[in-house]
This record gives sequence, C-alpha cells and structure tokens, in this order.
Amino acid sequence: MGSTSAENDGKGVGRRDLIKRSAALGLISVPTMSFLSACASGGGDDQEKAEAGEKTAENPLAVNESAGMEFVLFDGGFGKEYAEDAVELYEKAFPKAKVKFSATQKIQSTLQPRFNGGNPPDLVDNSGAEQMDMGVLVGKKQLADLTPLLDAPSYDDPNKKVRDTLRPGIVEMGQFDGDPVWILYYAYTVYGNWYSQKALDSLDAEYPQTWDEMLAVCEKAKKKGMAGWTYAGKYPYYIPFSMSPMIAKVGGAEVLKAIDNLEPNAWKHPAVKTVFEAWYELYKKGYILKGTPGLDHIQSQTAWAKGDALFLPNGSWVENESAKVIPADFGLTVSAPPGIDDNDKMPFGTIWASGGEPFIVPVKAANGAGGMEQLRIMLSEASSKNFTSKVKSLSAYNGGTDGIELTPGLKAGVAALELAGDNVVNPRMQDWYVQLQKEKIGVSCLGEMMAGRLTPAETIKKIQGYADEAAKDSSIKHYKHQ
Amino acid sequence: MKTTETPAPVPAESGTPVHKAEASPGGLEKGKKEGTTLNVFSHGVLVIWAIMVSLPLVWAVMTSFKDDASIFRSPWSLPDKLNFDNWSRAWSQAHMSDYFLNTVLVVGGSLIGTLVLGSMAAYVLARFDFPGNRFIYYLFIGGMSFPIMLALVPLFYVVDNMGLLNTIHGLILVYIAYSLPFTVFFLTAFFRTLPSSVAEAAFVDGASHTRTFFQVMLPMAKPGLISVGIFNFLGQWNQYMLPTVLNTDPDKHVLTQGLVQLAVSQGYKGDWSGLFAGLVMAMLPVLAAYIVFQRQVVQGLTAGALK
Amino acid sequence: MQHGKYRFIVGFLAVPLGLYALFVIWPFVQSIYYSFTDWTGLSPEFSMVGFDNYSRMLDDDIFWKSLWHSVLFALLVPLVTLGLALFFSFMINVGGRKRKGGPVITGVRGSGLYKIVYFFPQVLSIAIVALLFQFAYNPDSGAINSLLRGVGLDSLQPLWLGDPDIALWCVMAVLVWSTVGFFVVLFSAGMASIPAELYEAALLDGASRFTTFFKVTLPLLWDTVQSGWVYMGILALGAESFAVVQIMTTGPGGPDYSTTVMVLYVYQKAFRDGQAAYATTIGVALLVVTLAFAALVMKLGRRERLEY
Repeated sequence: MGSTSAENDGKGVGRRDLIKRSAALGLISVPTMSFLSACASGGGDDQEKAEAGEKTAENPLAVNESAGMEFVLFDGGFGKEYAEDAVELYEKAFPKAKVKFSATQKIQSTLQPRFNGGNPPDLVDNSGAEQMDMGVLVGKKQLADLTPLLDAPSYDDPNKKVRDTLRPGIVEMGQFDGDPVWILYYAYTVYGNWYSQKALDSLDAEYPQTWDEMLAVCEKAKKKGMAGWTYAGKYPYYIPFSMSPMIAKVGGAEVLKAIDNLEPNAWKHPAVKTVFEAWYELYKKGYILKGTPGLDHIQSQTAWAKGDALFLPNGSWVENESAKVIPADFGLTVSAPPGIDDNDKMPFGTIWASGGEPFIVPVKAANGAGGMEQLRIMLSEASSKNFTSKVKSLSAYNGGTDGIELTPGLKAGVAALELAGDNVVNPRMQDWYVQLQKEKIGVSCLGEMMAGRLTPAETIKKIQGYADEAAKDSSIKHYKHQ
Repeated sequence: MKTTETPAPVPAESGTPVHKAEASPGGLEKGKKEGTTLNVFSHGVLVIWAIMVSLPLVWAVMTSFKDDASIFRSPWSLPDKLNFDNWSRAWSQAHMSDYFLNTVLVVGGSLIGTLVLGSMAAYVLARFDFPGNRFIYYLFIGGMSFPIMLALVPLFYVVDNMGLLNTIHGLILVYIAYSLPFTVFFLTAFFRTLPSSVAEAAFVDGASHTRTFFQVMLPMAKPGLISVGIFNFLGQWNQYMLPTVLNTDPDKHVLTQGLVQLAVSQGYKGDWSGLFAGLVMAMLPVLAAYIVFQRQVVQGLTAGALK
Repeated sequence: MQHGKYRFIVGFLAVPLGLYALFVIWPFVQSIYYSFTDWTGLSPEFSMVGFDNYSRMLDDDIFWKSLWHSVLFALLVPLVTLGLALFFSFMINVGGRKRKGGPVITGVRGSGLYKIVYFFPQVLSIAIVALLFQFAYNPDSGAINSLLRGVGLDSLQPLWLGDPDIALWCVMAVLVWSTVGFFVVLFSAGMASIPAELYEAALLDGASRFTTFFKVTLPLLWDTVQSGWVYMGILALGAESFAVVQIMTTGPGGPDYSTTVMVLYVYQKAFRDGQAAYATTIGVALLVVTLAFAALVMKLGRRERLEY
C-alpha cells in the first residue's frame, strides 16, 4: 500500500474534519485533565468527618446516631460470623445509622488505595497475609489513638473502664512509642507445644519438663513408629512459638527483649545457643517427622492430627483450623515448652501468650467514634462469649469463659495460662519486623537449621547478621520495649 | 506464504490419499521402517505425557468427592463414598453462578473491544507510514513488559476519578487497555503479511480507508484475530490482579476472585474438600467449552499459525 | 491513496491509544516517579529521595537473587516448554505409521484426542494449578512421593519444595506442565498447514523424518515459535511466576531465598513491608529485564523469512 507520506495532507482538512478531529482529541483529553489534577497520592481531599453525637451514658463515645459506619473484617480462620453478630448489636443501638460491613482476605490491596486517598473505613481488622504494616501505619500517623475507647465505661459495667476489662498485655501490645494505643488485639492466643494427651498416654509418658525428658519421650515415640515432632516446614516461623518462650525460660525474659530491641549480639546469648543445640538434637536423633521441611501448616497439622508426630509448635487457632482432621478422642492439649534443666532462669510453665486479630480505627475515618463504639460492643461479655464459643479462641476480654462449654484445646489453654501466672512472655518481632522474623530468621535460618542444612553455630551467626542489618536499615522503623 | 492460500489441513485419520507415495524408491523404504520405530516411540512418549497431564485433574475430581481426613491420609485412594455435600457447600459459599455470569460479561465485552481496537491500531501501525509510527508501536510493545502489579495503586485512582470503580464496563475498559500490547504486537505482524493488492484495488474502487479496513482487511485477518482472540480469552478469563483492586463489590466479583476467596477461606477453615469441589466446578465449564469448540479453535489457529 | 490518510490514522489510533495511555502508560509513569520517593504506600505523604532506592537495590542481596531466578525463568521455561511442545506436536502430526495408500506423513492414531487432553491444564488458572501441585509435592502424603513409595522407591523421597537445591526446578516444572499443551495445539495447527509436498520432497531427497523436522517444520514455524517465546518469557517473568512462587514455595520465596523472583519481591515490598517506593524501584528493574529479554529474542530470532 503506497503510504509514502510524501504529500502533505493539510490541504484536505475541512471544517467538518476539524470538528471531528477535535472531538477525537477531546475524548482523550477530558478524562486526562480530570485525573491529572488528582494523581495517586494526591490526597488532601480527606473525607468529611461525621459530626459528634450527644454524649450519654449509653453513648459514652458520643457517636453520631445517624452517621454511617463502615467495618472491614479480615475473613480468616475466625470467619465473619462473630463480627456480623456484633454489627447487629450496633445497628440495634443506632437504628438510624447505615452500617456497611464487608469481609475480605485482601486487606492491603483493598484498603491501601483508600488510606492513600484519605477515605478509609471506620474500623479495620488488619490481619492475615496481606496485613498492612503496623509500624508504617503508626509512623505515618494513619491511626487513631484508642485511648478514648479504653477510658470509656465498659459495655457491661458503667463503673468499670474498658481498659480494666482486658487481659494483661493487651493494652501494652497496642502501644508503639509512648502512651497512645493504636491497636486493639481482639483475640487472645496461647502459643506452645500442642499434642494429643491420648498419644502421650499410649506411650506411658508424662509431659516432659526438661530437655532430657523430652528426648526420652521422643525416643519412646520413635520406637512406636511415631515421630517426636513436626512443624510447618514451609513456614518455619511457627518454630518460635515454642522456641522463644524456651529461650526466655533458660536465659530470662531479658534475652527476648534484647532480641526484639535488635541489640548488638542479642542472639549470641548463651541461652540462645543452648536452646538451638537442644532443638538441633531433635533433628540429629531423627525425631522430626520425615518430609517436614516440605510441609505447609495445614499438611503438618494433618500429619500430626493423624498421629504421625507427637508435638507441634503452634497457636491456639490450631483447634479451629484443624477441627476437621483432629479425631474426637484426640485429647488436644497445649503445654509450655520444657526447659533444659533446673538451672533455667524461669520456672516451668513460662509460656507465650498475646493478642491476635489487630483492630484499628484509621485517623481519617469519617466516623471513628462509630468504629470505636463497635469495638466497645465487641468487648462486652456477651460478644466475647459468642466469639469464644463460635471460633474456639479466647478474646481480649478478661474472663468470658464462665457458663460456656470450653473445647479441649481452649480448656488446656486456660490451664496453661493459669500455670504460667505472671510468667507470660510476649516477643514482638513478628509485629515489629515482619520480614526479619518470617523470611530471614524463620525461613532462611531456623528452617534451614531444623532441616539439618545449618548447624546451630552457623544459624546464630546468620541470624545475628540479619538482625544487625535490620538495626542499621533506615528504611525500617525501629521500636523498643517500653 | 499467504494465509489465504494455505491448503486444508491434512486429515490424519480420513485415509483419503492426498499423495500416493508408492512410486518412490529408496528413501521411502527406509522411511517405512523408520516410521514404525518412530510410531512406537512417539505413541509411548505421547501416552506418558497424556497421563502426566490428566492425572492431576482426575485426582482433583476424585478429591472433590472425598472427606477432608482421607485427602491427606491416602491421596490416591478412591473416595469411600461420593460426598456431594462438598459440592453444594462450595456452590452456595462461592456464588459460582453469579461470578460465572459476571466473568462472561466482562470477558465477552473486553474480548470484542480488544479485537476491534487492537486491530484498528495494528492496521494503522502496520500499513501506514507517518511520523511517530515507530514510537507508538514501541509504546504499545513496551506495555507487554510492564508488571501490572506496579501500576495498581495509581490505576485505582484513575479508575476512581472517572467514576468507573466497581463497574463492569470500567473493568472491561481496563482489561482492553492491558490486552492491547500483545494484541497490537501480534496483529501488526499479521497485517504486514497480508497482500496489499486487494486493499489497493478496493481503494481504487473508491472505498474509503475505513471501509477498506472493515470490509476487506478485517475479513482477511480473521485467522489472526482468532489466534490472538484465544490468547486474550485465556489471559482475561484468568485475570486476577486487576479485579482484586478495581472490583471490590462482592456482587460484581469475577470467577477468579471467587475462587481465590474460596481457596483462602477454605484454607483457614481447613475445608479442603470444599475447595476441590469449587476448583472442579470452575474448571469444568471451560473444559467443556474447549472440547465443544475444539475444532473451531484448532481451525482458527491453523489458518493463523503460518503467516 | 493519500486522501484523508491522516484523518484516518488519527481516527483509528485515537481510541486505542487514548485508552492505553490512560490506563496503562499514565499509571506506570506515576510508578516510576514513585521510585524516586520514600512513599510507603500506606499514606499520602512522601518526599523525594533521589536515587536512594536505586543504590539500595544494588546493595540488596535478595534483589540479586531474585533477578537471577527471574532470568532463569525467562530463559529456561520457554526453552523447555516450546521444545517439548514442538517435539510433541511433531510426534502427533508426523509420527504416525504410514498406512498403505495413505499420505507420506500422517499423524499418530488418536491425534485429536491428544490435542484435547494436552490442552487440559490451559483451562485451569495458574493459581489453581499451583494449588494442585502444592498437594502433589507434599513429601509426607503427597501424590508424587506416595507414588514413589507405591512402586517401591521408599528410599527416594525428596523434600521437593523443601529442598533449596531442587525447589526452583519444581516450580518451573509446574509452569512447563501447564503451558505445553497450548503450544502443542498452536504448533500442530501450523504443522497441519504445511503442504505435504514439502515433506515428500525432503523424504525423496533421502532425509529422515527427524531431519525433515529441522529442514521443513522448524523453519516454517519459526515466526510462531518466536512470538510464543516472547509471550511465554513475559509470562514467566511476570504474572505466572508470581502465582506459582507465591502459592507453592516455602516462605514464600524460600527455602533460603532459593525460589524468590523479582515479581514476588515487588509484591512483598509493596504489600507486606509498606515500602511501595522501593517496590516500584524493583519494578523498574523488572521492566528493564523484560524489555531486554524481548529485544534479545526478537534480535536472535530475526532471520530470512521463508517463502514457498
């Protein structure tokens, strides 16, 4: 086709053509203009805030009765029913308010643009694989201080503040840098060694309290064709659920704090070395279920539930998550990790327990008071009981277990907490430094060590290297235990 | 080679003697023996791959009828009984029927749009010389290499500012835009190979450029359009990242969103049998469509494969 | 011929180009801009930091690992996929036994069936495929190791995805598995339209069937192979490798960074670590790699077009 373009086309342009042409141009340019003025981060146009309502005894947070409230829940292991029930209570309290409730697993991809645009929802359960980085949210001043909620009278007893109805540690966990409380963890998780009491009985063994006893139990199990341990090999950051409290038990809680604070040589503490060597012993003696490094959490839990392995480092959600594969007569139990021997710094029973399911109220929310009121409703005894009976997990509400029948795992969790007393540790690495904890320490070091590809000494050196890197990395916000 | 002159594909089984080969000496005697060895060998290899390809799918179907415990306990055993409740659970939770309809709408609309707009742009770029031609061409081609993930947040604002968020037509426009690079790349090459004589003749007969395109060139490009259409169909049908961000309204979800949602939530609930039922449900219609339209697909590709 | 040419050109290009500029180019330009900032992705505030992100990237070991894996993906996955696909389609179309009175070159019996079966994986989205294989690779009760035990290979029980030495290959194998079928159908179509005379002539010249493949089939299919290579390589650099690595591997990206790829690293930085600006920087690097890959394939692939 002869399109040599030698000829100038200009002379052929008539008036009609001009109009046509400009119309075509307009088609492109009109939308172009409208978004040029508002590019991605061109925020500033924050949404209008709802006016405060009247502050009464029933409405201590002065929620605007007719303002809409939007609640985005992470739709994970706990499902969404418990939250829907709480939303119903909110709607009953504020019949004129329009509540928009949604549940998703894609927290960040759905909400990130809205945080950027200044129109986030009023209450968010920021959890799951796509959890938005809390450190960044706090650092960039995107969250509302929840102190008004904590100081408001509780739902059940007007003479008691919300903060006094919570389990120990919940408020502290929500603090990052001083007094303001940015996060309210709604669930309460007990971490530790999970096992079948029935299997342990069948071995004619007691739960071990020292490492020698642990090795003896594993040996017994091995003779019966059962592995001592398995874990989520593809997500080895489950290992610390049992390993971290053991480090605290052996060397004292300060060791964990130093680790969290990214102090130099924190990992070189002798307690760390002792514990790593103890765990490595499990690998060397062949007490780890064959194939474990290739199993994900579900697969390892299933192998464990069918009796291939005795112990599993995990959190209290395991009861709900693996409900379908845990046999009825399993006798699900959790115990604190054993220590090394009598020279340990902390008593047997030292356990890791802390909040889960972080709820936040964005500072730019239109109806932040509404979001907090929703949380206040969820922290009532009735809602908490509803949560516990529906999802088999404790909530942040201290108590809330009377009068409902506890499942075996829950019962064991409550017992383990009682045994622990004040000896509850709460390592913060997994909230503060996600990449460091999960990917670097978990996958690249602990996972490699338990698969037998790194010795304990090499592991410590590698972890310390990663920790030092993170301490120096200016792109990460650093936190310290208060 | 001109596509229009392509001979009809040799029907493998028809037995119609297309070319008699008896008369040929030497080379063919050798060929006969070799053919037999080759035949045994090729059947062997082909069967092995066929098994490798179909086993996982058969396994998935089988698994969708099992209960959770036996999925892990004995992955290869047949289900003890057919657990149809897996299917009903997945059907009701995953809203498969709604999502299916949404997907058909979105993919149908964007497929047509992609082909029309893509062929218009490709035609102009392939057959007209004008300043900026190369630039625009490479601008389109470059788009193939953009990782979509990077653009998600700014794209969200563009779509939001135009009021197209959570709309089916908004999603269609975005799908078209992201399908254009490969379509333009493929069709430009295709248009270049079409004979220019026909178009010139039409043009001399007084047809406008536009008419020439729609009445002469487009029909000639049909094989290419079918090929690129199939590429795009598969891509758009499986598109996941774009709807996740741009289409958050649960009523307007497409199938992939529903499936991933199902996968994640079943993962949390440990309902693997339900998940497999959902997977099989999602894969069967496409599989059925392929088997039914297989002949057309292959014919379209056959004509378009050699330019 | 020139009458109204420009009007026509503008008319035809305006809508596609406009749409493309609006939804693709503009967001990407913004992204590149962000790579010079310290934007977290979680708040509208940020400031310019110049080339900080780029110098940080060059010092980032994980980035280099992911780059290397991505390059492997772009080169090996298409090579193996297209190689297998060519081989299978040649078998299907040319591997048949010569029947008396039949054409010189025939497909094997049941060629139609093969073409249907091989296409199966293509109808599954890659996410589903990854999910299926995650079960298959389970070292404890997974399909593959159960099968190995079943045939008496108790000693051979690899950790598959849990072993850093083979995890990457396991992941690549899944991509190959799922895409070979599409190219078999594509190439079969191409082979079917090659006139039988060409084969006949080659055979008469004393060529074996295998040499006809290199003398006749491959040259005539070259253009298709080349666009397939570009298409496949770009998928292997982007969306598909993301899905398989993200869903299947340890961590994901492990064990010990043995499977991490650039697109996964972009995702983790943007959607896990709240470092959207750094993520876009890695994205820009990914862009460069992809462009280089496409240019390389087009350059290597350029050759005389065969006319017949």
